[in-house]
Amino acid sequence: MRRDETSVNPDREIGRGLSDDSMRRMMPPPAGPLHAAGWPRAQLRELHRLLRLNRSVEEKLSVLFRQGHIVGGFYSSLGQEAISVGTAWALAPDDLLAPMIRNIGSLLVRGVSPADLFRQFLGRFDGPTRGKDGTLHFGNVRKRALIGPISHLGTLIPVMVGAGLAARMRGERKVALTYIGDGGSSTGYFHEGLNLAAVLDIPLILIVENNGYAYSVPTPRQFAVNSLAERGPAYGVASESVDGTDLFAVIEATRRAVERGRRDGSPTLIECRAFRMKGHAEHDDMRYVPRELLEAWRKLDPLDRLEKFLVEEGHATRKEIEELTREIAVTLDQEAAAALESPLPPPEEALRGVYREPRYEEPWWPIS
Amino acid sequence: MADILKPVRAAGRPRDRVVGARDGSNRREPDDAGLLRMLYYMKLTRAIEDRIERKLHRQGKISGGVYVSRGQEAISVGAAMHIRHTGNDEIDDIISPSHRDMAIFLMQGVTPERILAQYMARRTGLTRGRDGNMHMGDMRYRLVAFISHLGDSIPVAAGTALTFKMRGTDQISFCFFGEGASSRGDWHEGVNFATVQRLPIVFICNNNQYAYSTPVSRQMAIERFSDRALAYAVPGETVDGNDVLAVYDAVGRSVERARQGQGPTILECVTFRMTGHSAHDDAGYVPPHLFEEWAHKDPIDRLVSLLGERSLLDSAALDEMDGRIAVELDEAVAWAERQPFPEPEECLHGVYGE
Repeated sequence: MRRDETSVNPDREIGRGLSDDSMRRMMPPPAGPLHAAGWPRAQLRELHRLLRLNRSVEEKLSVLFRQGHIVGGFYSSLGQEAISVGTAWALAPDDLLAPMIRNIGSLLVRGVSPADLFRQFLGRFDGPTRGKDGTLHFGNVRKRALIGPISHLGTLIPVMVGAGLAARMRGERKVALTYIGDGGSSTGYFHEGLNLAAVLDIPLILIVENNGYAYSVPTPRQFAVNSLAERGPAYGVASESVDGTDLFAVIEATRRAVERGRRDGSPTLIECRAFRMKGHAEHDDMRYVPRELLEAWRKLDPLDRLEKFLVEEGHATRKEIEELTREIAVTLDQEAAAALESPLPPPEEALRGVYREPRYEEPWWPIS
Repeated sequence: MADILKPVRAAGRPRDRVVGARDGSNRREPDDAGLLRMLYYMKLTRAIEDRIERKLHRQGKISGGVYVSRGQEAISVGAAMHIRHTGNDEIDDIISPSHRDMAIFLMQGVTPERILAQYMARRTGLTRGRDGNMHMGDMRYRLVAFISHLGDSIPVAAGTALTFKMRGTDQISFCFFGEGASSRGDWHEGVNFATVQRLPIVFICNNNQYAYSTPVSRQMAIERFSDRALAYAVPGETVDGNDVLAVYDAVGRSVERARQGQGPTILECVTFRMTGHSAHDDAGYVPPHLFEEWAHKDPIDRLVSLLGERSLLDSAALDEMDGRIAVELDEAVAWAERQPFPEPEECLHGVYGE
């Protein structure tokens, strides 16, 4: 007996294009104007500055990459910046934060300077990893409560459960926030980490950045659920799904999770839906992504939506926004030029920090 | 009675019938011969494991650890009744058993003799004396060898189901594991892949409430293990794992879905581990009252009384069955003890492709 062919969902077949159903699932949610009633103007303008800075820093990094200056890869968060900025913004400065490779915005909110980022990406000796790494693999737990990303996707989740457990054992009411993508949600670490957070009741906030693609794998081939927030009840973890291009929705959802974490000590999973508007990394032309998806999601650009809100609500004028954008670009050009003047590490630096070297291990970055 | 003692392969699948359950719902049951066969295999499983754990292991005749399924036999038996096994690879199902699924080996036609030889590390055991206990398999019986690293067999089972899907047959995979293994990353990776690809597979969890010394309340933060199905958009169901008819019914429905190309089901069979993790473990961490409570729910006792109520089994027939099993095992043990150990140089065989 052959199985009924019609019962097999074609878009789950290996090696075929996206079905209509898959395309529908990947299209953006309906989006209206943003709402932030009662938020102080200064706060709104600062949020805008951070979102703009995030975008501009990455634009500059993209240029540097194409000029051949970047050591290693560059993974853009174009279209996802509201997730990084919004989630980090909702935390207290001493809450534990572990960004992933598309979370430059989280670092900027925590006070990491663009100059530091340039020196890091350019592999300079005065960068946060002394030129040993070229992407965001750095952190400083003591001074910034920042835990560096681990390349192997998903592994940060159990690490952050451990960090949250340590905080609780010390009697601190800190939450531990980290990120994972739609692709990373299929790793075993995701399962082990989230289950452990639920069983031990750790105030973990897991931000699932559903950006539609894990490298070239679209979400209908990654999971069978419609929303990754559906995974929450399977672990006994509170969960919700928000529009990740709506900065205020992201902030409010994270605040609810922070409140739950501090009050009950329990974890939260937040799915933030957005779209990866660039390739997996700068070298990837993403020809496998249907143009219709990019066009539809471009209308939900988080920065455009925020700027439209600021102008319409009278918090800023177009002229002020253009002025800010220009100022940021000029500053970043200067900082990037200065970083290019910084020295590369001497060859013998490669031998340092391999084995235990107490004083060397103490993070020297940031200098202030 | 004679025909029920034949391997399932020879006896063929029972004819199902639909009956009203006590809770008012309808469920499927095997025919009378099928009911008796389930009792026989549950008893045979218990008897062979008692011999291994309580006699041979204590006599020092067993190599390695001993992990038994006492109290959980209804899950393996109720599920294995649905396995299609004819000896033809083109249509037979594939099974990835857990380490507490002895009954499945017996029902697939592995003889007690060879199982005992395996436990005694003899050359005629399934691993030719290289490994002990449940770390055995044989594709002639469609049994994927149990993988020690719990959870690792889930992606392997998903791979077998992918083969069936790619070949377009209506074969299915049976994948068994405990609730402890379900916390492993491999479990998630395998189940997620199977559900995304809508593979013909049935996931069967024997939730025996202890993963070594970890109680289920420290294993997961959900009421029912079957709630995990929510994470994969597939049906999940919890049944009384000590009620062989409930297991039979639920697995039957899951098998039907899988054969029709409707994808995986996650089944939770609630039971209790009536022993330590293994023969050396006194389970001192388990509150004694739990053993007492669960002893009243023994799956074999329950099936015996049901068959008695239906006048399918009287005490004479029961004694005959027990006597027959005892003789069968006496002979099997004697045979296994006569088997040679492997020669030292045999450990070099089968390391590379031969």
